[in-house]
Amino acid sequence: MSVRSEAVLRVEDLTIRYESVTAVKDATFEVGEGEIVAIIGPNGAGKSSLLSAITAIAPRARGRIEICERSTDGVPRSEIVRLGAALVPEGRQIFTSLSVIENLKLGATIRRDGEIASDLEAVFAEFPVLAERRRQMAGLLSGGEQQMLAIGRALMSRPRLLMLDEPSLGLAPMAIARVYDKLTTIRSRGVAILVAEQNAARAFAVADRVLIMSHGRFSLSGRPDEIKAHRDFDGAYFGVMMSGASWS
Amino acid sequence: MIGAVRECAARLAPLVLLVALVIVVACAATFAPIILQRRVTQALIMLVGVVGLYVFAGNSGVFSFGNVGFMAIAAYVSALLTMAPGQKSVFLPDLPKLLAEQHWPAPAGALAGGVSAAAIGALVGFPLMRLSGISASIATFSILVVVYVGLGNWTSITGGQNSLMGLPNYVGLWTATIWAAVSIAIAFAYQESRGGLLLRASREDEVAAKAAGVDIVRHRWIAFTLSAFLSGVSGVLLAHFLGTVRVETYYLDLTFLIIAMLVIGGAGSLTGAVVGALVISLLTEVLREAEVGFSIAGTHLAAPTGLGDSALALLMLIIILYRPKGIAGGREIGFPSRSAPVAGRNDVPPPNSFSNHELE
Amino acid sequence: MREAAQVLVDAVSVGGLYALTALGIGMIFGVMRLVNFAHADLITFAGYAILLFFAQSTALAVVGAALAAIVLALITERAAFRPLRGANPETLLVSSFAVSFFLEKTLIMVVGARPKGVDFLPGLARQVDVAGVRLQLLHLVTIAISLALLAGTTWLLRATRLGLEMRAAAENFQMAEALGVRANRVIAAAFAISGLLAAAVACMIVAQTGLVQPRMGLQLVVIAFVGTVIGGLGSLPGAAIGGFFVGVGSILLQALLPEALRPFREAFVFVAVALVLIVRPLGLFPSRSLRQRV
Repeated sequence: MSVRSEAVLRVEDLTIRYESVTAVKDATFEVGEGEIVAIIGPNGAGKSSLLSAITAIAPRARGRIEICERSTDGVPRSEIVRLGAALVPEGRQIFTSLSVIENLKLGATIRRDGEIASDLEAVFAEFPVLAERRRQMAGLLSGGEQQMLAIGRALMSRPRLLMLDEPSLGLAPMAIARVYDKLTTIRSRGVAILVAEQNAARAFAVADRVLIMSHGRFSLSGRPDEIKAHRDFDGAYFGVMMSGASWS
Repeated sequence: MIGAVRECAARLAPLVLLVALVIVVACAATFAPIILQRRVTQALIMLVGVVGLYVFAGNSGVFSFGNVGFMAIAAYVSALLTMAPGQKSVFLPDLPKLLAEQHWPAPAGALAGGVSAAAIGALVGFPLMRLSGISASIATFSILVVVYVGLGNWTSITGGQNSLMGLPNYVGLWTATIWAAVSIAIAFAYQESRGGLLLRASREDEVAAKAAGVDIVRHRWIAFTLSAFLSGVSGVLLAHFLGTVRVETYYLDLTFLIIAMLVIGGAGSLTGAVVGALVISLLTEVLREAEVGFSIAGTHLAAPTGLGDSALALLMLIIILYRPKGIAGGREIGFPSRSAPVAGRNDVPPPNSFSNHELE
Repeated sequence: MREAAQVLVDAVSVGGLYALTALGIGMIFGVMRLVNFAHADLITFAGYAILLFFAQSTALAVVGAALAAIVLALITERAAFRPLRGANPETLLVSSFAVSFFLEKTLIMVVGARPKGVDFLPGLARQVDVAGVRLQLLHLVTIAISLALLAGTTWLLRATRLGLEMRAAAENFQMAEALGVRANRVIAAAFAISGLLAAAVACMIVAQTGLVQPRMGLQLVVIAFVGTVIGGLGSLPGAAIGGFFVGVGSILLQALLPEALRPFREAFVFVAVALVLIVRPLGLFPSRSLRQRV
C-alpha cells in the first residue's frame, strides 16, 4: 500500500521537437515532495530540453507538465517560478554586473512578504563564502562560488522544487562535492530537487531515484541501488559515465 | 553540357530578368505623357540609390543611414565640375578660381562625383566597419548629419542652404534606364563575387565566418565603398535630372524614402531592392495625386499634406511586422524551371537579418 | 577667464541635455536591444504639449509634457515594439526609424511644419551673478535639473526592486524571466522613464530656443546616438557619459575653433568620435553582455 504524496512535479508523455529533430519523446516521470531525482545522460540525451520545457523556455509538441498540481499550459516563462519551481541553469548564469546580494535579492523578486531579509541571512548562513563577499560583483566569484550563488538565488523564491541543470559542469571536484552536500541539506528542509547531470557518480550518491536518459527517452529508472544491480545497467549506462568519475 | 548551361542560366537569371524589367518599364513609359515619363525617370534614379544601399546593407546585414550623404557629395562634385563657369559665378561668387574655371563634360563629372563619394565612403567607413552591426548603423547617422551640416555651411563652395541652379540637364528616361541597368549589373556582380558571398555568409553567422578566417571588416569596407559609389551615382543623376542641387534634398526625407523602398521590397535580395524602388515609386505617385486632390462637382477633395509620408511609414511598419522579409521575401527572381531545380542560390532564400526574430 | 566660465557652463548644460537624452535611449536599449529613434518624437510631442498649455500655467505645461511623452512612449511600445520583441537590433532600429517618421509626418499633418514660438519660462531668460561671473540662469537650471534627474534615475536603478529587475533584464533577459521578472513590466517601465527624461529635455529646449517644430527632437537624438555608441551600447553610465562628452565637446569645439572652421564643427566631432571608436570599437564602457563569446 502506498500513500501517494503530492507530486511536486509531474510530467506526462512529454515530447519536444525542434524542427525535424525529436529531442525528447514521451517522457513520463514525477518528483515527489522532499526527494532528489536525478536525470542522468550524456550530452544530447535531452536533459536540457526537458528542463527547458518545464521552465517554459522551449515549447512542447505534446504532453502535460504540472508543477505543484498546477498545469503549465499557457504559463509564460516568468510565471513558472511563481508556481513553485526555481531553476539553477546550466552555466549558472548569475548576473555579473550585479553584486552577490543583489543577485540573491533578485531571486526573491516574486515575493512580497516581509521575510526576505531573514531569508537572505539564512542563505548567508548556509553559504558563508557568499556572506563574506556580499557586496562584491558576482562576476568576481570563482566557479564554485557562483554555483553556490545560483543555488542561493534560486532558494530565495522559497521554491517547492529546485531544478539544477548540469551543476557540476566546469567545477573542480571539491566544489562539486560541496554542491552536492548542499543538495542533501536542501532536501532535508523539504525542498524537492531535480538534477540533470552528466556526472553520474555524484548524482547516484545523493539521489533517491535516478532516471537514465539517452536519445530523448528514459531507458532505466528506479532507485540507485536497483539500477546498479539491473542487468541492462551497463548497456544503458555506457557512454554516460564521465571519465574520472568514481563510485564512492 | 545542358546541365552546365542550365545552371549558368539559372545563376544569371536574376540579372537578366531585373534588367529586362527595368527596360520594359522604360519602354512602357515612352508611350506615356511627358509628366509620367519624368516620374519614371525619377523612379529609376531612386532605384540606383536603393541598389546602392542594398549593396552594403543587404549583403552585410548592417543598415547604413548615411548613404544619402554620399548622394549629396557626388551631386555637388558633379555640379561644381559640370556647371558653366558663368553660372557658377552667379551662385558661387566666392568659389576658388580653380574650381570656378572647371567645365567638364557630363560623364566625367558624373564619374568624378561617384568616385568622390566612394573615396569619402572608404575614408569614413574605415573606422566604422570595425564597430558591431548596430553601433555601425548608428554611427552612419552621423555621416548623414555631418555631410548635411558641412555642405550646408560651406557657403563658398556649395552656396550653403541655397540651391545651385543651371546644372546640365542630361538625365532623361534612357540615361536613367542605362544607369539603372548598370547599377543592377554591378550589384549582381558583387554579390556573386567571392567577397560578396563571404560577406553574406558573415551576415548569417558572424562567429562562424570569423572562425573560417573571413575578414569581415575588410569585406564590409569594400561593400561600403562600392555602396557609396553607387549612391553617389544616384545623387549625380538626381541633381542633373532636377537641374538643381540643394542640401535640403539630401537629408532625412530622402533617407527615409530609400530605406523604406529597400525594406518594403526586401533587403535580402537585389530583386527586393529593385522591386521596392519601383513599387514604392508607384505608391508615392498615387499618394501624391491624392494629396493634390481632384475636383468633383465643384468641391475639391484632397488628402492632407503629409498623408503620403505617414502612409509610407505605416506601410513600412506593417511590412516589418507582418512580412519582415519584404515583398521579395529575400529571394531572387528566377526563371521557372521545367525539370528538377538545379540546387543553387536561387533555391535557398538567403535568411534576411531583417527578418530574424531571434531569441536572445 | 570670465568668458571661459560662461562657455564652460554653456557646455555643461548642453552636455547635461545630451546625457539625459542618451540615458533615455540607453535605458530602452538595455532592456530590449532597441535603439529608439522615435525618442526624438517623444521630445517633440512633449514640446508641442508645452505649446498647448504654457499659456495657462507653467506647471500644467510641464505636467502635460511629461504625460504626453510617457503616454506616447507606452503607446509606441505596445503597438510597434512589443510585437518585435526578440528581433535583432538592426530590425528594431529600422522600425524605430519608421515609427519616428510616422509620428513626425502625422504631427505635420495635424499642426503643420512651420515652427511656432513659445514663450516658456521667460523668468529664466536672464543672467545671474555667480562669483563675479555673469551666467545664464537657464543654463544653471538646466544643469541642476539634469543632475537631479540623473541622480533620480540612478537611485531608481540601484535602490528599488524595479531598478534591480531592469538591470538584471538588461544583462540577461532570459535568466531574469526565469527568476520571475515580468518582461512587460520592466520594458514598460523603461519606456515610461525614457518618456519622462524626454519631457524634461523638451522643457529645457523649449525654454532655451523659444520654439517648437516637428523636428526639434531629431538633432538631439542623432547626436545622443553617437554619445551612446562612444559610451558603449548596453552601459547606462556609459551612455550618459558619452552623451555628456559629445555635448560638451561640441560646445567647446564651437568656442575653440577658429571662425572659419566653426560651421564644420560637426565634422570635427565626427573625427573625434571616429578616433575614439578606432581605439575602442565597443565604446568606452562596453557592456559585458554584448561582448560576443567567441
